[in-house]
Amino acid sequence: MSLSEYADVRSASAMASDGGSSSQMLPCVFSPKSHQYLALCAQDGRLRIWNTDSKTLHQEYVPSAHLSATCTCIAWGPCRTAKEGPQRKKRKSEAGQLVETTDLLALGTAAGSILIYSTVRGALQCTLDGGHSGTVNTVQWHPEENVLYSGSDDTHIAEWDLQTGKMRCKWKADRTAVTSLCVSPNGKLLLSAGMTIKMWDLETKEVYRKFTGHSTMVTTLCFATTRPPDSEGLYFLSGAAHDRLLSVWQVRSDGKDKNSVVSFTLTDEPQHIDLLKSDSKEEAVRLAVVCKDGQLHLFEHFLNGPCKKPLSPACSVQVSSVGGKSSQDDTPVPVPLLAAALNTDKQSLLLAYGSHLQPVMERAPVNTSERHVCLVRDVQTTLSLSIDTAVSMVKTPIVNTKKSKVLVPGLPGHQAPPKASNQSTQPEKRKKGTRTEMSIEERLEQVELSAVGKGGDKGVSTLQTDSYAVLLVQGLESKDKNILNRIFQARKETLIRNTVSRVPLPAILPLLEELSIRIQGHPSTAHTAVDWLKAVLTLHTSYLSSLPDLVSQLGRLYHLIESRVKGYQQLMRLHGKLYLLMTQAATRGSANKANELDHTAKLVYEEESSDEDEASGDEGLPGDESENWEEDEEDEEEDMDTAEEKQNHADEEMREDSKANGDESDLEPENESEEE
Amino acid sequence: MVEGSEIRVVRCGGSKINTRAPIITVDSRFLLCVSGDLVKVYSTKTEELVRVLEGHTNQVTGIALNPANHLQAYSCSADGTIMLWDFTDGILIKTFVVSYPILSLYVSQKHKGVIFAIIPMASRTDTECYQLVAVHLPQAVEAEVDAPDLSAVVTDVSANPRATAVGREGEYLVSAKGLMLSVHFFRKQKTYSFTLKASDKKGAKNGFSCVACHPKEDCIATGHEDGKIRLWRNFNHRKEYTYTTLHWHHNVVNSLCFTPEGTNLLSGGVESVLLQWQYGDSKKAMLPRLGGAITHISVSPDGTLYSTCHSDNKITLIQSSIKVCGIIQGLVKGDGVRTDLLIDPRTKALVLNGKPGHLQFYNLKRDRQLYNLDIVQQEYIYEEGLDQYEVVMAAFDCTGSWLATVEERGLKPADLDFSLKLWAYEKKTQSFSLNTTVAAAHNDRIRCLCFCPGGETTMLVTTSKDGHFKAWLLGGESDGQSKLEEDEGDKGEGDCGDAASWSCDFVGSYHSLQPGRSCFAADGSLLAVSFGEVIALWSPETWELLTTLCLPPGDIRDLCFGNQTCSKYLLSTTTKNMLCCWNLLTCSLEWSTAVDVMLLKPDPLSENVAAFAKQDGRTDLFVFKPSEPRPLFTQKAVCEGELSRAVFAPRSQHLDSCEESSQWLNRSQLYILTESMDLLTLCTKSEEDKMATLSKQLVVDKSVAPTPFYLLLGKHRQQQQEKLDGSVPSRAAERTPVPQGSVAIRELLHTPAHVLPAASFLCSMLVSSLLISASDNRGTDCGGTDEEMDSEREEEDSSEGEQEPESRDGQRGPSVGAGDGAQGSVTDHVPKLSRAQERELRRVRRIDYSWLSSLADA
Repeated sequence: MSLSEYADVRSASAMASDGGSSSQMLPCVFSPKSHQYLALCAQDGRLRIWNTDSKTLHQEYVPSAHLSATCTCIAWGPCRTAKEGPQRKKRKSEAGQLVETTDLLALGTAAGSILIYSTVRGALQCTLDGGHSGTVNTVQWHPEENVLYSGSDDTHIAEWDLQTGKMRCKWKADRTAVTSLCVSPNGKLLLSAGMTIKMWDLETKEVYRKFTGHSTMVTTLCFATTRPPDSEGLYFLSGAAHDRLLSVWQVRSDGKDKNSVVSFTLTDEPQHIDLLKSDSKEEAVRLAVVCKDGQLHLFEHFLNGPCKKPLSPACSVQVSSVGGKSSQDDTPVPVPLLAAALNTDKQSLLLAYGSHLQPVMERAPVNTSERHVCLVRDVQTTLSLSIDTAVSMVKTPIVNTKKSKVLVPGLPGHQAPPKASNQSTQPEKRKKGTRTEMSIEERLEQVELSAVGKGGDKGVSTLQTDSYAVLLVQGLESKDKNILNRIFQARKETLIRNTVSRVPLPAILPLLEELSIRIQGHPSTAHTAVDWLKAVLTLHTSYLSSLPDLVSQLGRLYHLIESRVKGYQQLMRLHGKLYLLMTQAATRGSANKANELDHTAKLVYEEESSDEDEASGDEGLPGDESENWEEDEEDEEEDMDTAEEKQNHADEEMREDSKANGDESDLEPENESEEE
Repeated sequence: MVEGSEIRVVRCGGSKINTRAPIITVDSRFLLCVSGDLVKVYSTKTEELVRVLEGHTNQVTGIALNPANHLQAYSCSADGTIMLWDFTDGILIKTFVVSYPILSLYVSQKHKGVIFAIIPMASRTDTECYQLVAVHLPQAVEAEVDAPDLSAVVTDVSANPRATAVGREGEYLVSAKGLMLSVHFFRKQKTYSFTLKASDKKGAKNGFSCVACHPKEDCIATGHEDGKIRLWRNFNHRKEYTYTTLHWHHNVVNSLCFTPEGTNLLSGGVESVLLQWQYGDSKKAMLPRLGGAITHISVSPDGTLYSTCHSDNKITLIQSSIKVCGIIQGLVKGDGVRTDLLIDPRTKALVLNGKPGHLQFYNLKRDRQLYNLDIVQQEYIYEEGLDQYEVVMAAFDCTGSWLATVEERGLKPADLDFSLKLWAYEKKTQSFSLNTTVAAAHNDRIRCLCFCPGGETTMLVTTSKDGHFKAWLLGGESDGQSKLEEDEGDKGEGDCGDAASWSCDFVGSYHSLQPGRSCFAADGSLLAVSFGEVIALWSPETWELLTTLCLPPGDIRDLCFGNQTCSKYLLSTTTKNMLCCWNLLTCSLEWSTAVDVMLLKPDPLSENVAAFAKQDGRTDLFVFKPSEPRPLFTQKAVCEGELSRAVFAPRSQHLDSCEESSQWLNRSQLYILTESMDLLTLCTKSEEDKMATLSKQLVVDKSVAPTPFYLLLGKHRQQQQEKLDGSVPSRAAERTPVPQGSVAIRELLHTPAHVLPAASFLCSMLVSSLLISASDNRGTDCGGTDEEMDSEREEEDSSEGEQEPESRDGQRGPSVGAGDGAQGSVTDHVPKLSRAQERELRRVRRIDYSWLSSLADA
């Protein structure tokens, strides 16, 4: 999908979400267990399955009636494993790990039919038709048997036998539409909800319990514990439209379960719920709720009897885009979260955010110590990266030449910073800091000094160098590139010597630094700087050697020179060789002309005979039967070949000639280079 | 391995899928490929593994669709069996025992009950000499049958499965070996052979590399070692054969394949470009940059889908319009893994060398490649002798926010060129971004790369052959500018990548010895670097040389620190068969044993250490705690040959095994990469049992309407059922009742399509079933039905029913003539009516007829 298209739809979706909050929530479900896939029905009616590992589009399925009968709900089938039975006969069996694969998806449509889609085959497995006359609001798989339950606007619940693809039975559940269903973990009870929540015994299809409390349509139902109902420990959650509370209900054996036990506060209507069920009283229920406003709330609670106060989230997570270039105005825009899943290891959280058409998936670590977490993400870049990967399986990491640093030998940082002695680095740094702070004072002193010097030596013959020195000091103080460039362009040795000798001592270190920077740079500037450096080192040796941190000051310069000089020998060798070649070429061009002519004339005479011999030999050669039956083309080729060979032969001889010549002239240039 | 042990060594995927050409089923929905001793069935649409055909006990060497039934496939194996599979349901139908190792197999439509297979010559088992034999499959009902009936077809053939092919309609068989092309004609029972010269004058190599036969014409395409493709014609005359040459490839043509209609010839070679030559024309289309070298090409029977196998363990699915539509990627395997096996702490994926210049991220749990990370970022050119950059080393820091890679090129030491790259994981963009490139970080090859596991400082240590080791520090620059950056870097958790960069902090050496391995203690307070026989310990904070440890004979091969409770121990192995454990508190040797340990791998989540020792050409595994002298677990002969790499991968869910011998596998799982690039793992019994209990199949009826025609019939069936139920009697009355022969129709609809005989055969059966059972007075009705059926048939499909009406015209004439008045008059009027009326009339007549017949029955 092109990005422009994406942008269009995104804006459309934004409008839709702005326009009416009552619009149907788009289904978005993670696959069970390891959350390998995210199934998502976008505004365009297509089902997309995203791989959360590689964060790429895994599959796209377009239901034939995707525009008229949009998909209203999705449910992943229970995991099946790839292998039928354990293979213990062989010692080394392939795929020793039995890989759990998620395969089937049930889709409920607005037309009342249910589609079963196989992600492994990438095709529709079957269609369950004729069960509902209204929109299917919810589908639920039975955890163990091949049974599917669906609730619809036609107030009925249907039970489907998937082995035969037929409806087993259908019963009226409510006076209003059935908006939510949930099968208990042991597979014996079914919760259904319209306005009131009903608990059905699946064997008899009779109402087991009734729970009232919500004033709007219940949109989510979810069991929170795996305990059996008799133990007083069976709890479930419910959330309703336009309701900013999640209620927890306890199924009590005495039947006195009129009101909700606990409630969780949210910022908006719940859109996606994921929870880790607890097996015992000691284990807390962990809950991740994505609200309609795109926020994620994390709860952790021990379900153990009623709790009067509504519980607030342990942690809220929001995602925000990067402000600046990516969005039109410079303010960061919140990115809505679509779904979240808790990992079983309790360490991380799988998030999906962005648009329904191109969600971004991320595994983020859980940090409940902070109440509010805002993740800043550059959604645009992430998207463009993931689009490429889907096709080629190649992710290209970001290489920003401006931001990334390149270290080559000689640059500071490539070698270890030299350390004088066992001094700890801390005071050294501090010292440096103080020096830079003192620079203004120093500068004032310098100005005075230079002014004095200037005034005193006026009219003397070395005025020029003196002004150079002043200029240099000024340039170093102000770090004026222009002045410094002008000064360092001086090549006259006496001028340099004089200037350097007049530079006041405090300016010597900055001068050295400046020079070492220049040496790092372009070779031409380095060349001029070397003269200056030489002068500084020879004239101020005593001062430099008196410095306490001499090693660290000059170490870098030393490394630099070292690394530059390292290749010198090899370069000299190369130079010598190149020189040899060049002189050879030059001499051959001029001196051998006459010789060559003679030579060729001679050789041509001899060659003719030998070539003929060869050619005739070639023709005589084919003893093979097949050779005779070769095509004319081939013969032509052969002719060509022999011709080419002739040429080659000639060439070779030429080469030999030149070699001979080279040998003759070899000694001379070598001598020359040695002389050099 | 002790029999009955709790822990088994199992292969865990990542096996090769590119050893033999895959086959695509007739409906183009599945792709079958060979993988080790299995045949895997992939969906061509989703590239998912649908089914695994398991049964062979050795390497599977060939697969072919059963020409008699396209829903079945033959597979042959080096274990000397040929198996017949129903691949849609994964059922082994039959096993034919040949009792010779089979190298490849070929089938032909014409030769029913015969499979051609390449087996080693019986007479000369020592030499690499093979022959092509025809295996006559016995028609027995047992599941396992001996097939002793072999007859040699061509002797001395190449072992290369691509160098043999069956010609047009199975009339001849072509095999090439070296410089000789042999064509065996079945009808004449003669073998012609054609030879080429070893090389022409230009030095081109003429040896055959592969052959393919045109499906419709007498034409053989041969690929050659110099990249030429020759098309041979007129080869049924010994002397007057001709050939034309197509030349694009510059290197060996690895595979050739004709499309089923013979309109195109596909060729591929090391250049990883798929060429589509138009047959009888020199026009060609190309699909470049397919990845690794193409090793096999195959085409689906309907010609809509091509598939190519690549040397990097990949199958590419290509539409006939030369567009890639899917990639089945296994674990990329080159000649070796130069980077170690790593675990990305962020995604828990296995990281190792992938495509050239890439790092691949592989999900171990699902046996599936996630993606390749392009480290070198240069186009890889497939050409021999080109020296290109390759990732040779990689390391993650403990949180996964930094990745260090070393890329290198230059086989000779003179032109060695390498650079160290440091990548930061940016949370904002969810990807790695380059932070620092260090060109020529050392003067010689880098030998070891390791991050400091400690929390506060991010430090990387590189050791090199130039006798130095360098410590690199994030933001450790000493001038004022970068100090500011450093402060920023410490502040922001994810932003540190933006500002701070890496720089060298310390260069260390020891007596100008070559440093080998380096290793940090778990808390980052100690750095151990091996220098020849000596282990030197440094303090990374002050860069002080703390102590040296040395046990003279043999150089240090590997070293590692203990974890958790055993963190006071340092383990080292030497080339002279010693495994030493040093106590760091006393700086003395704790214990040592004489074991030739090649590799030490500490488990990051426990104190256990896995040691791999070589013995008698096999590798043994010992798992032990450094503090205890007794190993926790030993496994003899984990794998044949030397072990190259191993890694501990953390489990997502801890096992709670109480068995002492398997406790060490509770927190993490050990993965091993063998010399032959097989990925093995150790699996506990309880784990397997657990998995086995989970393995419950969800059976769901596959009742989706595949075609519009099926929809029509399905509707018909539904209505019929409704009628039977009696729920909608009125509708049933409206509709024409189905003739009595509907039992046959139902049978026809209910039996699976692949069991059904040919349509031409069915047609007559159907028609006859529609006839009213024989009785004297019903001759007329008979004729009527016949005619009606025929005419309808003609309307529906004119292609098939052309022959039958002609044959029955003679029959029909008299029967109509003998018919009663009413019927006869209707047929007389037919020509004058319009088409719509005619149809209406026919419908009416049909009702009439059935009513009549039922009356007659009564």
